[in-house]
Amino acid sequence: MQLTRKLPETNTGVSDGVEIKIENMSVRFPDKSGREMVDALTNVNLEIKQGEFISLVGPSGCGKTTLLRAIADLQQPSSGKITVRGQTPREVRLQKKFGIVFQNPVLYDWRTARRNVCMPMELMGIPRPQRTATVTEMLDMVNLLGSGHKYPQQMSGGMQQRVGIARALAIKPEILLMDEPFSALDEFTKEKLNEELLSIWSMAQKTIVFVTHNISEAVFLSDRVVVLSPHPGRVSAVVDITLPRPRHLAVKDTPAFGELVAKVRNSFEGV
Amino acid sequence: MKGINFKKFFASPRWVTVAWVVGLIVVWEIGATVVAGVKRTPENVLPHLYQIIGSVFSTQKANSTQTAIQIVLANAWVTLARAGIGFVIGAFAGFVLALLMSLFSAVEKMIFPYLMIIQMIPILGMAPIVLAITKDIDKSRIVIAAILTFYPVATNTLSGFKSVEREKRELMYSYAANRYEVYRKLLIPSSLPYLFTGLKIAAPMAITASILVDTLQGGGGLGCMMSQSLKHAMTIYVFWQIVFLSAIIGILSYQLMAWLEKLVSPNQRGEGAATTAKEQMQ
Repeated sequence: MQLTRKLPETNTGVSDGVEIKIENMSVRFPDKSGREMVDALTNVNLEIKQGEFISLVGPSGCGKTTLLRAIADLQQPSSGKITVRGQTPREVRLQKKFGIVFQNPVLYDWRTARRNVCMPMELMGIPRPQRTATVTEMLDMVNLLGSGHKYPQQMSGGMQQRVGIARALAIKPEILLMDEPFSALDEFTKEKLNEELLSIWSMAQKTIVFVTHNISEAVFLSDRVVVLSPHPGRVSAVVDITLPRPRHLAVKDTPAFGELVAKVRNSFEGV
Repeated sequence: MKGINFKKFFASPRWVTVAWVVGLIVVWEIGATVVAGVKRTPENVLPHLYQIIGSVFSTQKANSTQTAIQIVLANAWVTLARAGIGFVIGAFAGFVLALLMSLFSAVEKMIFPYLMIIQMIPILGMAPIVLAITKDIDKSRIVIAAILTFYPVATNTLSGFKSVEREKRELMYSYAANRYEVYRKLLIPSSLPYLFTGLKIAAPMAITASILVDTLQGGGGLGCMMSQSLKHAMTIYVFWQIVFLSAIIGILSYQLMAWLEKLVSPNQRGEGAATTAKEQMQ
């Protein structure tokens, strides 16, 4: 219903709870050899509501990461328009309203967990006592309060990614952008962090855009799952996830969950 | 079970060092014994190690006032102090140039090829020219040590700046960090291991270069004493003592850099790293 693809535009307002609005956006860039242009994304229309947990799911080359990067102002659209809170992505980035979590934790090796979480606040010029308090609060939220003094190489992959999430949330961003944050982790750690992420999301009340290639993960986490298909990259469906909240891992064993997974899986085109 | 412990013992780095030292001593002594059998003045070619060690403690005057070891130590100071000054200047200049090359790609394109050329000129060719320009042996030692330090520091630091992962840069970009912040918070700290690689290469080179410059003039210094000793102006053991002293100081200069690196990068201290209360608070 929020998908306006192939529908004439009727509403240009941004005050109706729409956080991110993507209109007729296409992204083309040269392929690895630099000789041919690749249609990473064609004609994407999408509205993401404030406080919504939305997943972008699809196989490699479907443009899900490109879409996230375009929202984050890390990739320029070739045509079309992205509006975030009524502004351009660049304006929102300059106001430091994005929190980003990459697939790799991207922690600074020479900083302890605490000082990693602290880093973006230093950039914002937040005074030290407030920084220290926020670091403690954030590490508590990701259950790492006892490991603040550790360096990245002393932590497991799951712990590192938790630090990455704490760092992204430390500046109280309006929008949390997550690019396959758990795909390098083992299944047990991933499921645990999925549950933790949901409780963080319900506490922090952020809009989350979550990129994954894992259908079950997307269904478990999201309000809506945006299905992308490759060659050319495009949105092929948007599936509403009607499972009740709060969700726990047990919901994965219900028939409703299985049906939604099947629905998402059947929405891919040309894979 | 004993066999495994045995293996572990032989695999430890300490054992490897001991094996190397013992091996070198054995080879040296075999050589010295052979030389003693065939040469009339074996101490000019390869004396026994005990003869060299003995000469260190000898009270016999090697010139009118000083024993051999006094001559060596007095001249070591002249050479090493200049090598040290040159090293610090060269390291600083190399780091600043790497910073400039990283900030402005035009600077890199303009300067980098000439850096390579400076590095290609043998020090033996460069030293007399520098001496002719500065007309001062002390200044020449400093300049040559600085030039030799400069290149490995500049190139290693530059590749350190370039090797920062794209995602780390993008993270800074997403926080709208300005250039100064990107360098201060990301590029400079993450290039420190590269900077220290450059410093570790350069430190023994600066000392070697300084000794080499000494030989150009009779104004003192390790290199000067070395050539005098070789020309039999004084006992040959001055030469052998300098050989060992400069080897030891070269190794120590490397170790000093490794120690400095550990000091400035606490995460390299490994498991159980001691963190200060201040770090924990932040």
